[in-house]
Amino acid sequence: MPPSTASEPVAHVPVRRIDVRGLEVAYRRRGEGPPLLYMHGLGLSQRWLALYERLSRGCDVVVPDHPGFGDSAPAAWMRDFDDLVLHYAELADLLGLGAFHLVGHSFGGWVAAEFASFYPERVTSLTLVTPLGLRVPGEAPADLFRMGTEARLELMFNGRAEAFFGRGTDEERLERLLQDYADLTAFGRFAWNPRYDIRLDRRLGRIMSPALVIGAEEDRVLPASHIARYAELLPNARVAVVGERGTPTGHAVVAEEPEAVALLIETIMGGQ
Amino acid sequence: MEELEFYAIIDRAYPWFPPAHDRDSIGIDLSNSAYDPDLGQEVLEQVVEGAQLAERLGYDGTLIFEQHNTPLALFGNALTGAAWLAAATENIQIGAVGPMINAYLSPVRLAEEIALVDALSGGRLTVGFPLGIGAQYHSMGIMHPVHARARFHEAVALLHRIWTEDGPFAWEGDFFHIPYVNVWPKPRQQPHPPVFIPAAGSRETIELAAKYRFTYQAILTPLPVLLRNCQLFRDLCEENGYESDRRQIAAVLGVHTAESDQQAREEIERHALWSAQNIVRFQFHESFPPGHVSQSSLRAMMSGGYRSSDPSQVTWEDMVAGRTGLIAGSPETVRQRLADITGEMGAGRAIVAPEFTIPMWLQRKSMTIFAEEVMPAFRPRGAKAVWQREPRPAYQTAAERVGREPRRAGRPVVSVPGQGRVDLY
Repeated sequence: MPPSTASEPVAHVPVRRIDVRGLEVAYRRRGEGPPLLYMHGLGLSQRWLALYERLSRGCDVVVPDHPGFGDSAPAAWMRDFDDLVLHYAELADLLGLGAFHLVGHSFGGWVAAEFASFYPERVTSLTLVTPLGLRVPGEAPADLFRMGTEARLELMFNGRAEAFFGRGTDEERLERLLQDYADLTAFGRFAWNPRYDIRLDRRLGRIMSPALVIGAEEDRVLPASHIARYAELLPNARVAVVGERGTPTGHAVVAEEPEAVALLIETIMGGQ
Repeated sequence: MEELEFYAIIDRAYPWFPPAHDRDSIGIDLSNSAYDPDLGQEVLEQVVEGAQLAERLGYDGTLIFEQHNTPLALFGNALTGAAWLAAATENIQIGAVGPMINAYLSPVRLAEEIALVDALSGGRLTVGFPLGIGAQYHSMGIMHPVHARARFHEAVALLHRIWTEDGPFAWEGDFFHIPYVNVWPKPRQQPHPPVFIPAAGSRETIELAAKYRFTYQAILTPLPVLLRNCQLFRDLCEENGYESDRRQIAAVLGVHTAESDQQAREEIERHALWSAQNIVRFQFHESFPPGHVSQSSLRAMMSGGYRSSDPSQVTWEDMVAGRTGLIAGSPETVRQRLADITGEMGAGRAIVAPEFTIPMWLQRKSMTIFAEEVMPAFRPRGAKAVWQREPRPAYQTAAERVGREPRRAGRPVVSVPGQGRVDLY
């Protein structure tokens, strides 16, 4: 059974748009308090999760769609992560975020790790939830490029994706497939080959802010060794595994366990 | 009947693997533990035999593919295969369709290989540049589907410049920065060998073929779409300031010729079903890795019911009724259908494919009947192949070489002590 908080209707947070030097970016923003920039993972663009709502009680939560994902325009000129990192530095400036708490999930965790290694002084705290991005020899993540939309979501949600997203009409499913292909293309731009960044092994050592790496109990996408490796490379990190509710948690733990993930993020933001 | 040039596809599949019916596809991760060197040798030797046979029978050209990571075809480098086939034949045009540009780190290396094979074969190379089916992008390490089209287009532009402009020149592209492009040798065929661009219907690809006066190799699509694309190609040629030659459209057709329609069916029905159930059996996500197709093309495909029919459910009637698909029958049937389809397309070249698994004796029979009873109807009186009718680029004798008065850009000299610079010759 998914926890009740995940399926509760979430307040509607309207999409806003901002022009980042010619690139139209969609984002959602709510709450007051210290700024928190959240970088979403694959399959979770275009939405306001219960986790964001929960975090917005104490933070100014900003959730952009990555370029090419969801409602953000694609950026054909982007070649590598440095383009994406510079993009987020510009976006943060435009939104007046100053220094901020940075949270990233899955692919977004990879982006957050890259951003923090370029701009460690801008990151008050760093939370990486089931983050991609590292090479752990012999422990490759699942090949997300070799499955259809529905199979990929089920893998991320340990078979509970339909319960989370709903089945939808044929037309809705077609639209979901098309959007997923756009998202996957934007993801592939950075992560097709190689599917890790070996430079992170050295660069992560630059991030002195408190860091938290969150894993799941049964992550079918990312082997647990990646969580441990991130914690080893980040100078000031601790590890938490979200779960112990009976049904083992999966890769999409941000969607399925908003309360538990929010509590962990709040502790790291509080400097604990 | 309009004249046609005939290219015989001689590639063959390696069929000795666990059936695709039990898998998602036979691409990407079908283990090569299924490869037996003896059985592989047999397949490769049959391809060579096919080329020699096509030459004896009077086809204008032969054609092999390039495929990676799959038993569908065994040439992972079409140009290496073409070099061997050229050495095993004398006159026939050798088609390699062909090198996947994106599997090359640099188009310069590709230009070198093309020039070398063309030079060694006496100017008999026809080269084709497929973008590569989606499944191939998983296995080469350097092929990136998101950048594939842009990198492909830049590479073709660079190849064309290599062929039409003397070096050295600098190439300052988005994907390639080469301070000194200066390729030796040059192709035997000047300015370059015939180029085929396989396209299933992507407008960009058809535009590219028109722009450089290449041949549009029309991959099977539903007939109305195919005919629309052929017209689009002719229109684009006109926009580029010239009238297209019929030979710039090549129809790709499965062809099997036998004594009668019934005999043809009996001979290849099961092989044709095998192909339908194996060769085109790719899951959507394997055919279309991220970025391999544009959002608008994807929407059109999905709305049109992509693979709405399960290829494993295809019947013989479906195959022979789909007028762009398989042509199988008596010489009369084959002649008629070939004339109809190439006539409607305005195609001046026909690329004819056997079933990739039929026994060699059957392939010999079908190719022989086709050569003797179908091809002559599409040729000028005398039924000679192009390579018999038209002058070849390579000289044949030493006397002919001298008679051509080759241009020497410089004369080699040597400094000899006491004599200064003297001519080497």
